[in-house]
Amino acid sequence: MSSKLMEVRGLTIKDSSGTVLVENVSLELNDKEFVGIVGESGSGKSLTTQAILNVLPKSLQAEYKQLALMDRSVEGLDAAQIRALVGREIGFVPQNTVSFLHPLIKIKHQIGDAYMRHMKKSRKDAYAKACRLLSKVGIKDPDRVMNAYPFQISGGMKQRVNIALALMTDPKAIIADEPTTALDTVIQRQVMDLFDTMNRLEGVPILFISHDLNIIRRYCSRVYVMYKGKLVESGSTELVFSQPKHPYTRQLLDSTMTIK
Amino acid sequence: MVKYTINRLLSGVVVLFVISWITFFVLTVIPGDAALLSLGTDATPERLEALRESMGLNQPWYERYFSWLTHFLAGDWGNSLFFGEEVLTLIMQRLMITVSLAVFSLLLAIPVAAIIGILSAIYQDKWIDRLARTVMQLGDAIPQFWLALIFLVFFSGKLGWFPVPGFIPVEEGWWRSIQSLLLPSIVVAIGLVGYLIRIIRSSMLSALEQDFMLMTRVNGLSSAQAVFKYALRSAVIAPVTTILMQLAGLLAGTVLVESIFALPGVGRLLLVAVEQRDVILLQGTVMFITGVVVCVNFLADILYRVINPMIQFGGERNA
Repeated sequence: MSSKLMEVRGLTIKDSSGTVLVENVSLELNDKEFVGIVGESGSGKSLTTQAILNVLPKSLQAEYKQLALMDRSVEGLDAAQIRALVGREIGFVPQNTVSFLHPLIKIKHQIGDAYMRHMKKSRKDAYAKACRLLSKVGIKDPDRVMNAYPFQISGGMKQRVNIALALMTDPKAIIADEPTTALDTVIQRQVMDLFDTMNRLEGVPILFISHDLNIIRRYCSRVYVMYKGKLVESGSTELVFSQPKHPYTRQLLDSTMTIK
Repeated sequence: MVKYTINRLLSGVVVLFVISWITFFVLTVIPGDAALLSLGTDATPERLEALRESMGLNQPWYERYFSWLTHFLAGDWGNSLFFGEEVLTLIMQRLMITVSLAVFSLLLAIPVAAIIGILSAIYQDKWIDRLARTVMQLGDAIPQFWLALIFLVFFSGKLGWFPVPGFIPVEEGWWRSIQSLLLPSIVVAIGLVGYLIRIIRSSMLSALEQDFMLMTRVNGLSSAQAVFKYALRSAVIAPVTTILMQLAGLLAGTVLVESIFALPGVGRLLLVAVEQRDVILLQGTVMFITGVVVCVNFLADILYRVINPMIQFGGERNA
């Protein structure tokens, strides 16, 4: 019996005017899985994960029948406890396009904040661990990167730093929200292989959000297809891609075929 | 950075030079005869002519400008026609009061504006934010001279909390001296607070919307760390520059407040120079104020680059 690291049932997200942005979505991430969520921009992929992480913008309202993190219902936990749980147990790798790293704070001064807070470690421990992780994600001169501002390093480097930051607390699961979008193909491949290695060698389960079918097909074992705020299809990647049931999935597959 | 500093310094010098030329030119072309003003209408034509000659008024304007400029650069700013004392001495005597007034009012305004501005950004559209917006509107709408008069009548006159208008020199006790500046400082501060809240609130709001704030929540950092380390680091840049600009304005003289509270500061000196047609004093005071504004702006520019490493290291390409 594998444990459910993330599970949400019947998630609905509305904005302040009552417009439904995400409707009745249920999904789960089990131990050791590499699961994809695919869909066009605006389909509610990011909102769904933000709701799971409890970090939706204030203007949006989320309702669900059930939400469990680390095999444990969040019911009865207050906001601060959920925040600590998410911060410690889930690593979040954001898009690379914008400044998810603070542009005016040196990397060494922000990479260890969550680690020091949740693991009660010193600044020195954080520095050492960050350097180890930066080497692990393929950065050859961690000290230089640690002493740089985010705008002084390349996009690929920045995304490695984001991944290292997500790994600082030894999370039990990783959510990656379009982590390769703004990267060129070679770097994209390197970053994806990094995720793949973490998943296969260390068994870190990954919930991977993308609009790129080729990436999803290559790396994910199971996939959810979202369309206009609804979950339209789910199942093993092989099955969904070989026998798509929903017209949108078919359309999605056809469009990539044509390009090829 | 060095190249930038030198460029900024040079452009400051150019500004000073241009201003000196403009004030000199304007004061020369406006009607009025300094010799006549100084001797009165009863003076004989011979005495007038002699004074004009000795004041150099008969020389062409460019020679007079050049002679004035060389003296000015050597620190000889001439004698005030009205006071009969050296212009530079007159300014220096009054500088302390204006500087104190500027510093006190900023010291009063900044903490209040920072607290209200930050809170109103965090609790946008809540009661504290509505209060802040009301304060901003009031601060903008209330004329300073009116506020100064009301405060003077009420707090100084009726309640007797503050001494009557006028400056008490430090020699008579520094506490009493500060007290005599307190009420005018409060009046100036109230004028500043609304504006500063607006700047702080808006830069805080835009910082809170940044993606790194989402990361502080995903990473489970405390609200205090998220606000004071992450949001504030971004939000601090615009207000710091603004505050220095305000300081420049305050050092240039708070003419109204100095007049109403009978404080002999630089602003008041400027007023006297205009009222008395004291051309020499006016020229000196204008040049002094220009110099102060240029210097403070220079500092603001340098500081802006120090607190914003993106500019310092040429990171704007990536930003």
